[in-house]
Amino acid sequence: MIWLTWRQFRTPVLATGGLLLVLLAGMALTWTQVTDAALNAGFTGCQGADACASAADTFLSALRYGQAKPVYYGGLATLVVLPAVVGIFWGAPLVARELETGTYRMVFSQSIGRGRWLLVKLLGGGLAAALGAGLVSLALGRWAHLIDAANGERILPTTFPARGVVPIGYAALAFVLGVTAGLLLRRTLTAMAVTLVVITGLQLAAPLLVRPLLVTPTSTLTALDPKARMGMSYSMETKELRLEPMPEERDGWLLSTTVVTPAGTEFVGPADSTKCGPEAPNERLTCPEWLAAQHLSTKVTYIPDAKFWVLQWREFGLLVVLAMALSIFSVWWIRRRLA
Amino acid sequence: MTSALTATGLTKKYGRRTALADCTLDIPAGHVVGLVGPNGAGKSTLLLLACGLLDPTAGRIDVLGERPVSGSPRVGFVAQDTPVYAGLTVAEHLRMGAHLNPSWDSQLAEERIAQVGLDPAQKAGKLSGGQRAQLALTVAAAKRPELLLLDEPVAALDPLARRTFLQGLMELAATGMSIVMSSHLVADLERVCDHLIVLVASKVRVAGDVDDLLASHHRLAGPRRDPADLGAGRTVVEESHTGKQSTLVVRSTAPIDDPSWQVDRLDLEDIVLAYMSGAAGSGRVLEGQR
Repeated sequence: MIWLTWRQFRTPVLATGGLLLVLLAGMALTWTQVTDAALNAGFTGCQGADACASAADTFLSALRYGQAKPVYYGGLATLVVLPAVVGIFWGAPLVARELETGTYRMVFSQSIGRGRWLLVKLLGGGLAAALGAGLVSLALGRWAHLIDAANGERILPTTFPARGVVPIGYAALAFVLGVTAGLLLRRTLTAMAVTLVVITGLQLAAPLLVRPLLVTPTSTLTALDPKARMGMSYSMETKELRLEPMPEERDGWLLSTTVVTPAGTEFVGPADSTKCGPEAPNERLTCPEWLAAQHLSTKVTYIPDAKFWVLQWREFGLLVVLAMALSIFSVWWIRRRLA
Repeated sequence: MTSALTATGLTKKYGRRTALADCTLDIPAGHVVGLVGPNGAGKSTLLLLACGLLDPTAGRIDVLGERPVSGSPRVGFVAQDTPVYAGLTVAEHLRMGAHLNPSWDSQLAEERIAQVGLDPAQKAGKLSGGQRAQLALTVAAAKRPELLLLDEPVAALDPLARRTFLQGLMELAATGMSIVMSSHLVADLERVCDHLIVLVASKVRVAGDVDDLLASHHRLAGPRRDPADLGAGRTVVEESHTGKQSTLVVRSTAPIDDPSWQVDRLDLEDIVLAYMSGAAGSGRVLEGQR
């Protein structure tokens, strides 16, 4: 069964593996470029926050015109696209093609149960997907660790799915998703389309809905400076006043910046229309005064970079649990419901 | 006599469509059994149920005394249109068989491949229909099952390929394997089968050893009369009447000695056709003329 799994998998696996090798070669070729740039900029071994920040800027701008930049973004794109590729080209045809061409009738009349047949294929493909994604993520993480330290972006939704252990989870889940779609829909092309939609949806939903729930975001309160630049929207009818302060820089993933009252609730007014808003005769002067009297604070909610690995492992765990649940479901389905 | 396959009230529905309704039959082991019937009689469904690729909606089926499960080493199956992996070579199909079947007989497999002239390095997708069927049969046979089920294996083959395939099947039968093969063409079965089952609309119309069937069926032609007065022990299978004459196909164990009948022997195809058409509208012709 292992031989058959390999024989039927080898074309897509080798094709995907070839693409990953190109990326790995790119990293190998630019490895010293990155470390040299960091060394020359004084970023390696820098002391003190200010010195490091300016060294980081020098380091990052030195990389802007080298070959490291396409490798950096290529690696990012590869790990973001890899789940879809694995789901569509490895997973979706796995059962669907057998059902479509009728070969399931041949292979299921060999001396092997349908459940075991699928289990071996799920394990083989899932492990291959996990291994490929894991290797690339590991190499990319090592290659880019100086860049990540300099720009502090590894926790951002754009970089997060291409670092650490999460790519392994996405690749494995995408593979199982493709297999399950093929099993239920019985058409390769339909299964491929549905797999693409579901995986893309999952990759969008993860940062928007799931990730902020996996760790408790950190919140900071600072007194609002009424004279600082900020966005203001005022409703003539309800006297509602909303303030949007400029987002503050944080070492992490910024989720929201809101203005809160001393009671801790979001500030929405109502404003005194004689002091704030278009009806106030001398708004520029009176409004900041009025706002200062409200004792407002700016509440910044963010996930700090320090929580990167906690978040990585939790999301990875969630993905693995999902992949296992789907695997169990599809083995059950092929044994009980395929007939 | 042991049974290769028994079914009681076996029913399979796909949603609302019924593919097999309340089918009851008993197929003896140790024979080459032909399962014949018109398209849509439920032959394929019966065979898919028998090898565990389908589960019955109702009723029960036992194959070699057990509930069928796909993946059983005891039952081999050659599916309709003889599917093979287009991307795998002939040799890789044998390798797959060897990996997936503990009871794999690689000598039989290689001998058969050589005998039917298949190139082991050829991709199965490039084989002709006949070669593909031979490959599928080889994979199913080299598993050394006790019972080999074949679903219309020769339906798509040209006459020469058909003969070669059936020849190979007969050689396998000689090794003591029970074989059940479905077809809608009697000519295919006549050459290899020693037991025949006619299935029409999920019901067994007739079942028996081919020799018995040939010996006990007669065509009677004579002056027009009501077939009811033929006497006991005789069953009218099919009847047709003109103004003066009646022609009957009769099953009778005892010889027909009424001199007013002209008695002819029937070949297997005539018998099967009589059962198939007899099922469609028996007796109505005569009543219409009364």
